[in-house]
Amino acid sequence: MKKSDLDKVKIKQIPAQKRTNPFANVFDEFVGFCRSRSMFMLHYCTGCGAIELPPAMTSRFDMERLGIQPMVSPRQADILLITGYVSIKTLKRVILTYEQMAAPKYVIGICSCTVNGGMYWQSYATAKKLDEYFPVDLYIAGCMPRPEAVIEGLQQLMQKIKANEANSWKQYYKNYDYFLGNQQHLFGNNWQTPTDVIGEAETYQLAGPNTLGEHTKILQSVQTPLKPLEMKL
Amino acid sequence: MSIAHSQNLNVLLQEIEGIQLTFHNPRRLRADIAAEALPALLALLRGRASYVHLSAISCVDWIDDNQFELVYHLWSYETSVLISAHIRVPRDPGIYLSVFDIYTPAAFFERDIHEMFGLYFEGSPDMSKFILTEWNGPPPMRKDFDSEKWVMETFSWQQYHPDWLQELEQQGGGIVSTPESIRAGNRPMENKS
Amino acid sequence: MRPENYQAVNHPPSHEFELNFGPNHPGIEGNFALKVKLQGDIVVEARTDAGYLHRGFEKLMEDRLWIQNIALVPRICVPDPVPMEVCYSLAVEDLANIEVPERAQWIRVLQLELSRIAAHLFFFGGHAATTGMYTPMYWGVADRDLLLDLFEELTGGRIYSIYNLPGGVRQDVPEGFLQRVSDTLDYIDGRLKDYDNLFFTNQIFVKRARGVGTINQQQALDWSVTGPNLRACGLEFDVRRDDPYLIYPQLDFDIPTEQAGDALARTLVRRLEMVESIRIIRQVIKALPDIKGPLRTPIPNPLAWRVPAGESYARVESSKGEVAYYVVSNGGEKPYRVHIRGPSAMHAVQVLEKLAVGSRLEDIAQTIFSLDACPPEVDR
Repeated sequence: MKKSDLDKVKIKQIPAQKRTNPFANVFDEFVGFCRSRSMFMLHYCTGCGAIELPPAMTSRFDMERLGIQPMVSPRQADILLITGYVSIKTLKRVILTYEQMAAPKYVIGICSCTVNGGMYWQSYATAKKLDEYFPVDLYIAGCMPRPEAVIEGLQQLMQKIKANEANSWKQYYKNYDYFLGNQQHLFGNNWQTPTDVIGEAETYQLAGPNTLGEHTKILQSVQTPLKPLEMKL
Repeated sequence: MSIAHSQNLNVLLQEIEGIQLTFHNPRRLRADIAAEALPALLALLRGRASYVHLSAISCVDWIDDNQFELVYHLWSYETSVLISAHIRVPRDPGIYLSVFDIYTPAAFFERDIHEMFGLYFEGSPDMSKFILTEWNGPPPMRKDFDSEKWVMETFSWQQYHPDWLQELEQQGGGIVSTPESIRAGNRPMENKS
Repeated sequence: MRPENYQAVNHPPSHEFELNFGPNHPGIEGNFALKVKLQGDIVVEARTDAGYLHRGFEKLMEDRLWIQNIALVPRICVPDPVPMEVCYSLAVEDLANIEVPERAQWIRVLQLELSRIAAHLFFFGGHAATTGMYTPMYWGVADRDLLLDLFEELTGGRIYSIYNLPGGVRQDVPEGFLQRVSDTLDYIDGRLKDYDNLFFTNQIFVKRARGVGTINQQQALDWSVTGPNLRACGLEFDVRRDDPYLIYPQLDFDIPTEQAGDALARTLVRRLEMVESIRIIRQVIKALPDIKGPLRTPIPNPLAWRVPAGESYARVESSKGEVAYYVVSNGGEKPYRVHIRGPSAMHAVQVLEKLAVGSRLEDIAQTIFSLDACPPEVDR
């Protein structure tokens, strides 16, 4: 069994630049407030929990009164809802989707299957722990959770965002080596996504000592540079 | 179903050599047949006996006999009888004929069986991977593939030790049956029998 | 609908291009993908790509007890889970030679038909959304929730009930439940008129859906199309009538058909089926109080239950078509093999691939939804 305790991974804090603007904290709070009030969740049904989303979104429970709406493209989405078990085939697509989403991005794992495999723990086809492959902000337990539970979970996420505490997306850049290692363990060493995560980490100034490691070395050795698609008429 | 119908069917099926018919109930007829005679039986049933609906093709892995059993479930909308045609093919090398030219839906079931059991169908239009495109292991539905063992080797599990459980343990309580003890194979009553 | 002055353009082969359609796409039902080859906006080839929802059910079921599998089977078809439970129970009862008490059979029929109405309400909401009409979706999903409340009262679960088991059902109907079912049916019956105005006879929808994805009778039989999709081609076949199970022979109901075989006909058949289901449930409500007796035949210690060796093929009519379970036992505590035939396995793969060819890109979503394809049934 692999040792996979996130807590033991030490994150080196990058010294924050001195903030000279006297309204900096006020501004942060304002941004958190605005972010929590307008959330677009990606419209991607990975499993059976998705059947409770239409009731939650439509007239009866009406998620829209909280400012939450479905969004069809990952580039414009804020929340990635993992609704239930992810098969290995889906997990690849989910990781691609996650990396395409623009920061700040939040991940919610719905249903027991995302926590520990749920009732499919014996299955050769589903991934068990979602937070091995990318960081998860919040879990909503249940098989499947009722629409009220989904809305309650989303409200908790809103509180976290408002308090500027929902920062799990930063972990993906800080601990990229760990997440990549788990992905390679499942998909094989040739695994590669079109997103340059290391480059992004440097741009966001989030690259830490755990961003690079043995797994990223494997990635760099097998990586084929992405070329623009050939266009012809 | 009328008796006359079943007699007609019997007359028709006598053309196939070595066929054994058993009625499980008036609407379920089991036919055991040699693997070579199956295409002829299906052509006969579809062409002359109104069995136009291929409900499913099931595969059973009889690992002790080293054989795959293929079951073709055919339904007739006119006589309301389901014929299950059973054949056995050896597990090695695991090749059989496709019935795609007689029943179009066979293509899906044959592709599925090839993927799950590794049984190849000659003449089927598409034998490429469909559901398990990301799977590199052996065909998973075979009895000799142990799914649980593969999972234990591949995945790790969440540590779960909440406060209320720790309190209980301090008082001398705790979880009586651990996940390991109730997993398949370790169940006490199985050891007894 | 095309503009009246529309003229088709002949594209040279170099203009062909491939498009990935799904799995993350609002025009596709569930987690499912299509790869289409296009010439202009005309589809020349379509290949389905399934397996995103594969959990290896058939393998899991071989590793669990007969009674444990009851909790697994409803997950195979999420929008319409009850037929899965009933079908598995029927197969096991047939193997073990268990007679189901009459009262349990009536309750099962009640539950099956409620589930059919709920699935159809969900279906037409989704279908409307593919044509850009979002109001029917809001209405359909909201009214379906009333039925889910009934399920919750009867079984304890909104979606997955785990209520049927080999031998019967778990609990009796609560007090006053039948009256509440009756009230809900009255409400839905009254709403059907509104749905007609809003959706089923709405000219925008009718013109949009007519002639999309047409199947003729010969093709329907050749491709093993079942359920409402078959009846939309004018063939009056229904498992409830042809291969009767439970107490369906005692009930009085019609099998609605349409002739055209296109997306519109498939939608209208389901609209008519809701009326028939309401009729069936009204008969159950009338008859159930007079039927006394036990709710289930006890099975010997369910944790060490050895079902006699043999094989059984059970069929049930779900809202999507013919559900069938092939169950093989070798006399052990667990099934030796369970093969599940979901109706969508045919509709979403072979039928869709053939219907898509020659159609326009924007019609693909409508074709999928009008076939009421349910991807978890394909993947299992």
